[in-house]
Amino acid sequence: MKRVLIVDDAATVRMYHRGILESAGYIVEEAWNGIEALEKILNAPFDFYIVDINMPKLDGYGFLRELRQQVVPQAPAIMVSTEAAATDEAAAYRAGANAYLIKPVLPLQLLSFLSLMLGEASQ
Amino acid sequence: MSSVPMSPLLEQFLSEARDLLECSGAKLMHLEDAPNDQDVMNELFRCVHTLKGNSGLFSFPEMTRVLHAGEDLLGMVRSGHANYSRELADCLLEAMDFVGTLCREIEATHGVDASRARDSQQITEALHKWMPSLKTHPAPAGNGVAAAVSMGTPSIAANASSANGTHSVRSLLAGIPESTRKMALAHWRPGDALHWIAYRPLRECFFHGDDPLNTARQTPALVWGRVVAPEPLPPLADLDTYSCVVQFDLLTNAPREELDQFYRYIPEQVEIITIPSHWLLNSLENLGESRAALPAAPRRRSYSENDEAAFHKIIAAQRQILLLEDRPIWYAGRLKAVAAVLANLSSAAGHTCDEADIQAALADALSTGHPTLLLAWIDANPANRAGAALVSNDTSATAPAEMEKGAGSSLESGPGEVLADEGIKFGRRAEVAFSGPKSLKVDQAKVDRLMNLIGELVVSKNGLPYLAERAESQFGVRELSREIKGQYSIINRIADEMQDAIMQVRMMAVSFVFQRFPRLVRDISRKLGKEVQLVLEGEQTEADKNIIESLADPLIHIVRNSLDHGLETPEVRLAAGKPATGRLTIRAAQEADRVVIEVSDDGRGIDPAVIKQKAYEKGIIDEAALERIGDQEAINLIFAAGLSTAKVLSDLSGRGVGMDVVRSAVEKINGTVVLHSELGKGTTIRISLPLSMAVTQVMIVESDGQLFGVPMDHVVETVRVSGSNIRTFKKSQTAVLRGRIVPLKSLNALLGINAIPRMNSDDELAVLRVQTGGVEFGLVVDGFRETIGVIQKPLNGFLSGLAAFSGSALLGNGSVLMILNIREIV
Amino acid sequence: MPIEYKKNRALFRDVVTVEEAEGLLEWLQTRPGAQADLAACSHLHTANLQVLMSAKARISKWPKDPGLRAWLEPALQTAELNSGK
Repeated sequence: MKRVLIVDDAATVRMYHRGILESAGYIVEEAWNGIEALEKILNAPFDFYIVDINMPKLDGYGFLRELRQQVVPQAPAIMVSTEAAATDEAAAYRAGANAYLIKPVLPLQLLSFLSLMLGEASQ
Repeated sequence: MSSVPMSPLLEQFLSEARDLLECSGAKLMHLEDAPNDQDVMNELFRCVHTLKGNSGLFSFPEMTRVLHAGEDLLGMVRSGHANYSRELADCLLEAMDFVGTLCREIEATHGVDASRARDSQQITEALHKWMPSLKTHPAPAGNGVAAAVSMGTPSIAANASSANGTHSVRSLLAGIPESTRKMALAHWRPGDALHWIAYRPLRECFFHGDDPLNTARQTPALVWGRVVAPEPLPPLADLDTYSCVVQFDLLTNAPREELDQFYRYIPEQVEIITIPSHWLLNSLENLGESRAALPAAPRRRSYSENDEAAFHKIIAAQRQILLLEDRPIWYAGRLKAVAAVLANLSSAAGHTCDEADIQAALADALSTGHPTLLLAWIDANPANRAGAALVSNDTSATAPAEMEKGAGSSLESGPGEVLADEGIKFGRRAEVAFSGPKSLKVDQAKVDRLMNLIGELVVSKNGLPYLAERAESQFGVRELSREIKGQYSIINRIADEMQDAIMQVRMMAVSFVFQRFPRLVRDISRKLGKEVQLVLEGEQTEADKNIIESLADPLIHIVRNSLDHGLETPEVRLAAGKPATGRLTIRAAQEADRVVIEVSDDGRGIDPAVIKQKAYEKGIIDEAALERIGDQEAINLIFAAGLSTAKVLSDLSGRGVGMDVVRSAVEKINGTVVLHSELGKGTTIRISLPLSMAVTQVMIVESDGQLFGVPMDHVVETVRVSGSNIRTFKKSQTAVLRGRIVPLKSLNALLGINAIPRMNSDDELAVLRVQTGGVEFGLVVDGFRETIGVIQKPLNGFLSGLAAFSGSALLGNGSVLMILNIREIV
Repeated sequence: MPIEYKKNRALFRDVVTVEEAEGLLEWLQTRPGAQADLAACSHLHTANLQVLMSAKARISKWPKDPGLRAWLEPALQTAELNSGK
């Protein structure tokens, strides 16, 4: 079972994403900012990360930059944002995200990204 | 009218929305005092931003629109493009209030009334007025914008280069390059949606933070798109760089709902037209194409439509990442993540053999610092190449060669440091920590039920000592009696802890009540033309939820009074030699098992002479009292019922409206209010409340063979007074206790029981020294018993008319204990 | 710097934001024959696109990002053709 970490300061969004992921059988953990997420990673790294941008203490960019410097398997990360700005998208890639999706992410879209980026053949 | 069933997600949304609205309100208040506090501004922005994002999960366009405008405005304030002012804050507060109203409406009706759309529009426009260059909304200039959709035949005004006529879909599609049409058809499958989007950005959209080209590029399942320029384009000298003049035509495979979703913030700027897919076929056939001649669609049958789109997007993103020219210290991690994604994509598509190629390409990129091989791998993969929907054949062929050239010159950073973390294995824990969220929100009814059950448990366990006693005295089994007592002490301990635990659950910070004051004080003081600085202290002080909640109304009353009558206008203050800005302090602190709330102002204070005079005129005090009464006592008259309703008084004294209401509200939850005031200096009102109201500590006293409870809050001490030390003056008795003359009152007499107090063998009376509302007296009873914690129940039915009792409690032996209302019996 | 100005050539890099447009416009106004090198550009804000279109600037290198190129080539080539008229 693949483990996914949701990093988002909005509890509603976390719940939304969690619901989608758990319905597809993923194990989900949540962190509400970058610092908390890093602590969780040092505990046990994840197979996938879904990361919000704007968060207190350590934002999504900062978290990804840290993640990409850790000696853990470099798992795929999706950055989710309410903004469709190209600057944000480029910054997300620069920080270490592998995809950039606009909130709200449609359930099937999210699951497609996950299964593809995790290398799971859907049938 | 949009309506959704109340799902747990919606409940979560409403709950979080409340928190975020409170937070944003508080931050707005804070900014009034410190408009340059960037941290607060950032937090405020995040509150609104998060709220907007959350609202986007549901279909509440009325709410999302307002929040979007609010976020835009805050973004401009934050970046210095708009100036923060009180009026701007008013506008934002109003917007937040509106969102709050919508939330309550959604909670009550699960939907938003259609009438809200206009309000939403107005508030959005009001917010837009604060944004520079957005004062008006001119219709987007340009030509051919209005698309006419006639019955049956979808038609649309195409780009500006064609005359102003409307065109058939066929002619629209004719404008699309042949290769694109082929590709569109290649991706087309029966049942697919095909949409033509005429995206006409507002001229001022740059100020909204929009980048139309980017929006166009991000449009889901884009098949083709083009930039449409007005004819002629303004010459460079006349071009306003901050005004958007170009428009876009787009063709997409995405379903309509996804497009609506994508363009939900700017629906007025897009025209979406569904193109029946046979038009696509027809247009090709007309051009002499046949379906058979088309390239085979590069789709894997096992994949859903979503997967197909996702696959292309992911590939495009990895390409974009690899093309980044910066080389930060996390570059190696970034590359590895890309390689992992590529390998996974490949295995998802069933090509396991690619893994080795990708690893080799990664190793090369890590050692050279140029991801040339990884890029080449992407381009070499036929499925991937087809993935970039917008790639025309010639560009994809030339791209790798160009990349090779570019890579050589663009790299400065040494490749060595990139490899720092190679080969180190991370020890991964075998068992996976599976932690849920750390706090839950629970319906209050559930907590209340638990509390009631625990209350009943506490009461029933009190029956065990009686049982033990009966086992011994009535049945003569001492052994059993001892065991029962042993069990009792265990149950007792657990019950105590349960009680404590449930109290902790119900604890809540006073900030719940305090947080509304900044707004209240701001609004009222501005209405009154007064300058008031509000100071809040001890907001984290906790007390039982019921206590906190019942504190709200009295406190608002007090604060209003203070603003209305206590604090003076700036002119008056300056004339009195005080600073123009008045100070209102609301302070909370825990003192032993009480929570104390103090509201103090540095206003004009209360004149005891005026109060006395008014009280006399109202017949509340007689002439003798008028002479005798001290200043502090006079000020306390303000709590007297008859006085506080006197309207004139508030004008004369500066205080008094509804203070009796405050007192009774506070006393209902076993609290006390004390007021101190100094003429010209200010007034302080001190409210003391129990930390929790669930359990009341009462002392049991006996009188005429009956048991009564006296709340410990009122008990000062228990004393034995020798009969000879009691003096009788006229009809009242007094005794000197600890050097003070204390009036004595017999409980029997107060309750109308026709019996004289019993003395003990030493000729002493049992006197309970009690105090209420600053008045102290000795309550003469027959004897004292133990102090116990009881769950007080209000009196029902005709009993509720008995002012002498505040409630009743069940004792362990099943008997009912009446709790005395000390204030009322005096 | 997202735009690097050489003698007669503007080098676009990464994401070129709306803030660059004003400067680009001024620079192009004084150099009628100037060229734009978009090879390293991954996106440019609409405002910059408008300036390039209006100036009918010559593109010396198209973006390496094929997606962006597909957008820009028709828009800016048209401008070129028009300028030839």
